[in-house]
Amino acid sequence: MLTIEALREYGANVDEGLARCFNNADFYLKLVGMLGNEKGFDKLEEALEKNDLDAAFEAAHALKGVLGNLSLTPAYTQVSEITELLRSRTNMDYSERLAGIMEQQKILKELLN
Amino acid sequence: MEMDKKLRHYNDIRRVVMVVDDEPINQEMLGFILKKDYEVVLASNGEEALEKIRSRKRTLSMILLDLNMPVMDGYRLLEILREDEELKYIPVIVLTAEDGAEVRCLELGAVDFIKKPYNVPSVILARVRRAIELSEDNRIIQDAEQDELTGLYNRVFFFEYASQMDPFQEKGETDAIVINIDHFHLVNELYGRIYGDQVLQAIADGIREFMDENRGIACRCDGDMFYIYCPHQKEPAAILDVIRRHLEKLPDDSRIRLRMGVYAKAAPDELMERRFERAKLACSTVRGKYIEPVACYDVSMSETEVLSERLVNDLKRGLDEKQFKVWFQPKYAIQGEQPQLSSAEALIRWDHPEFGMISPSVFIPLFENNGLVQKLDHYVWAEAGRWIASWKSKYGFTVPVSVNISRVDMYDPRLKEKILTILEENHLTPEDYLLEITESAYSDDLEQLIHIVEELRVLGFMIEMDDFGAGYSTLNMLTVLPVDVLKLDMQFVKNATSDRKNYRLVELMKDIARFLEVPIVAEGVETKEQCEILQKIGFDLVQGYYFSPPLPPEEFEKLIKKEVDRKGAEIC
Repeated sequence: MLTIEALREYGANVDEGLARCFNNADFYLKLVGMLGNEKGFDKLEEALEKNDLDAAFEAAHALKGVLGNLSLTPAYTQVSEITELLRSRTNMDYSERLAGIMEQQKILKELLN
Repeated sequence: MEMDKKLRHYNDIRRVVMVVDDEPINQEMLGFILKKDYEVVLASNGEEALEKIRSRKRTLSMILLDLNMPVMDGYRLLEILREDEELKYIPVIVLTAEDGAEVRCLELGAVDFIKKPYNVPSVILARVRRAIELSEDNRIIQDAEQDELTGLYNRVFFFEYASQMDPFQEKGETDAIVINIDHFHLVNELYGRIYGDQVLQAIADGIREFMDENRGIACRCDGDMFYIYCPHQKEPAAILDVIRRHLEKLPDDSRIRLRMGVYAKAAPDELMERRFERAKLACSTVRGKYIEPVACYDVSMSETEVLSERLVNDLKRGLDEKQFKVWFQPKYAIQGEQPQLSSAEALIRWDHPEFGMISPSVFIPLFENNGLVQKLDHYVWAEAGRWIASWKSKYGFTVPVSVNISRVDMYDPRLKEKILTILEENHLTPEDYLLEITESAYSDDLEQLIHIVEELRVLGFMIEMDDFGAGYSTLNMLTVLPVDVLKLDMQFVKNATSDRKNYRLVELMKDIARFLEVPIVAEGVETKEQCEILQKIGFDLVQGYYFSPPLPPEEFEKLIKKEVDRKGAEIC
């Protein structure tokens, strides 16, 4: 079961995330729980596999907004970095960075369960 | 205290705001924050949002808009809102993590930004609240500052904005311009209020078109008066051309006569109201001047204005102290062997204690404008009556005297009564007393004028049509006008000796008199040559300096005496 402590342990800036929810822990946890349905990770992966940097940027950018609002710092940091690279459509091998982000998704899913 | 008042109003209503974001987590989070103070409507893309905005356009206070969304993104929605007359007033705050998006969004009408990740709720709520307050204040100001009919500013806001923009004018060269419609009340009366409003709207459209190209601001005030404050115009009359193009779209636009006053290149420290007073003054000098409807202010206008004010203020005292003098200018019958004194015209002079003798051409128009002319007319009628009676009893002989009936007198329901009272008091008959009515008075309301004049004729009065030829009578109109004498406008006499064409014109006037079977009088006769020409053409009577200037009663009496003596000698 997802808890504030578990998120804190994960490295989330829980105080900041809670503050955005008027310190309503239930609501904050509900929002983090909605990450289970978040399509942003898969969209990013799919776009990068097709080397569609425009779509990849859009997906990364949207994901960054969500993770930032939830203050899920480890995932947010990685997504922010790839967003900046994709913003300038940097032609490079994204596989390592993508793997890191997908790892974050996995960790978060585990936390949710 | 002020703030408390404002807050109370703000808190009176639980406003509706919309969050447009395709990310459910962001949508939920922002919705949760906003629900504290607002009713929240959610949408996941621009298209869904637009539909909801349209159905809530009267109640929606704010839109919080994400940019990157499927179906329709935030930029497109901003464009649509900006172009929609009804929706463009709803303020939009853009939600973005993009620094670069700001300029484009502001250009598309966004009022503010909320960055992702979101700030703490108190900051978001404060920003939303402030944006709503500003937007509502702006709407209130827009509603209050506008003239509802034309969409131009109203007077109060116009002066405020004009003063604000003044320091920013290039080289400081600005013009205050006043545009007015001649006899607008008649337009309303003749064509109805709806048509009158259309005229005002067309003028405002023309002014707006002019301002689109030339910058400036404008307002409507005092019904049919328009003020424009703009960079200096070398050809201000061009504004009237633009306006006329808009008026041409209306039926019967040819009857709409505009006039314009310009106060050009005002000194920067001069009060805005003062500048427009001067433009207004310039505008008043071209009232009824259709060929030259534009006047630029010059200092002499102010001097004239000051003098005018003095004279208007001095009128009552002038009447009480009998500063006004009635003089008499004789009319001579010229078809006999010798010119014979036939009648006279009573003319007023003002022997002002400070300014000396003032010509009626200076003060009569002033009193015509403010309705005081009736007092003067009545004074002249009474004085003339008194003198005619005095000469009648002294010499047993009457020289009929004509008095002027002003246009405004014609609408006085007590006109007949007033004139008859004067006759009664002085034991005179209508034959002793001629009435002059200017030709242009007939163009106001022909039927009513005919009715009044006919009533006066039934009582036995002879009616002279003054300034004949200067007005707008059509030949057809002349056949129905009840007149006993035509009095040719003096301009015809002045020009009669200049060339053949003008001579023919005077002949034509005589032909008209012959056709109407009435005598014709020429006034303004100054030379022997003019007199001989008029005699040759067949004019019956002449009046003018060639025979005599207007004379004080004592001097005129000498002419009467001379006439009596001459008649006496003829009998002997």
